[in-house]
Amino acid sequence: MQDPRIRIAAAAILSVSAFISLHGAVLAFLWWLVFTPGVHLATKIRLVVPLLLVTAFFSLVLEIFSGNGLSYFIRMTVIILIGMWLYGEQKPGEFLTTSVWLLGDRAGFDLGLVAEMGMQSLSCIRADVGRIRVAAKIKGLRWGVHSLIPGSVILVHGALARAEDSAELLAIRGYRSGGTLCPEFQKGPRDPAAGFFAVCVAFLALVPVSEFFILYR
Amino acid sequence: MNMRLDHACVIRDHWSLSATGTFDKGVHLVSGVTGSGKSTLALMMAGLFPLSEGSIVKGELSTCMLSLQFPELQVTGRTLEEECASWGAPAEKILGATGLTGRRNTSPLSLSRGELKRLHLACVLSRDYDLLLLDEPFSSLDCEEKSKTCTTIEQKPGITVIFTHEQEILPRVFRIWEIAEGRLTDCGRLPDAYERWHHVPPAVKRLTALGSPPGNISIRDIREAACRIQG
Repeated sequence: MQDPRIRIAAAAILSVSAFISLHGAVLAFLWWLVFTPGVHLATKIRLVVPLLLVTAFFSLVLEIFSGNGLSYFIRMTVIILIGMWLYGEQKPGEFLTTSVWLLGDRAGFDLGLVAEMGMQSLSCIRADVGRIRVAAKIKGLRWGVHSLIPGSVILVHGALARAEDSAELLAIRGYRSGGTLCPEFQKGPRDPAAGFFAVCVAFLALVPVSEFFILYR
Repeated sequence: MNMRLDHACVIRDHWSLSATGTFDKGVHLVSGVTGSGKSTLALMMAGLFPLSEGSIVKGELSTCMLSLQFPELQVTGRTLEEECASWGAPAEKILGATGLTGRRNTSPLSLSRGELKRLHLACVLSRDYDLLLLDEPFSSLDCEEKSKTCTTIEQKPGITVIFTHEQEILPRVFRIWEIAEGRLTDCGRLPDAYERWHHVPPAVKRLTALGSPPGNISIRDIREAACRIQG
């Protein structure tokens, strides 16, 4: 999907649909299979597996104590898959253009800038993790659970240092609030259909399926 | 003891680097402009970057160490003491030599870039390795520290490869290599290498033009060559 406006809106609608009902989650999952690279994308983003494992753990706890764990697991898994798709498809600058298009040059620009900086920070942290692993390998240290605390300290320190640099750069360039930007968007041939079916999923997710079947009988 | 690169090649999107040559015992200097692929070659030689083609054969090399350009990326300890220990270096001696005595419980990340680079190099150079790869070892150092580092590097017993674009303070080297247009070129031994080396330091270039080429690229050799002109 090329148009970031439809992509972000679809991701938001589908996430809500998946969260509010189980059949909404199933429909959102079908949408994910039809309109996204699906499993191919999930295998490219390695974060999917740990996130699913954490979700599985909490679902198990929920199942034991309240008996609603399986439904929670299915709904959260779909939300994670949609989130991963949104993250994987996102290109630099898209949050900024979408935000300016939606909210204008002032609040939209600020909000978009924050989102872009957040995305950039995520990308830098991912690169830092790779470098820390190389460093541990060079020193002949084993990378494992015991590396989490020192590794996290380095990551947080790096993120703070970069944030300071960015803040200084913005201040030097005279940034106070808002900015000028002419948003331009690429459009894909399947984008309108994907957007339309995302809205359909949300509509169906709100329909109380069990009551519908009772009326039908 | 040597390292042989046989058309060792890395291909990444629209960029590639190919390296062929043998690195024998002694100090080697690999020069090239920023972005030419010096760091990638260092990672390739350390076995930390998968080759797209070709091979790297290590002959009788049992220990290898790579010093990355940015010292903060190799920090794994929460204190200076832990950091020294992670390199297998004696904390007392290292902290004393780098002027950091009394700060053993300080976080390495609270040091300035220059201090951290000094500490990092002291740890790396405190032990001898069969293959020592130094990526930009002179960055963030002042002239005095650069000179000290050069002296230490010259005393290393194995194969030492320096990847740098430093043009002023350099150690006495055995062989010059150059990366340009995605290819590693062996410029040969000094002083013959000056003819093939595109990144000859300005002082060396000037002295060569004046008919007094220095025997090597260290400050001592350059001074000696300059004195020959005056004398």
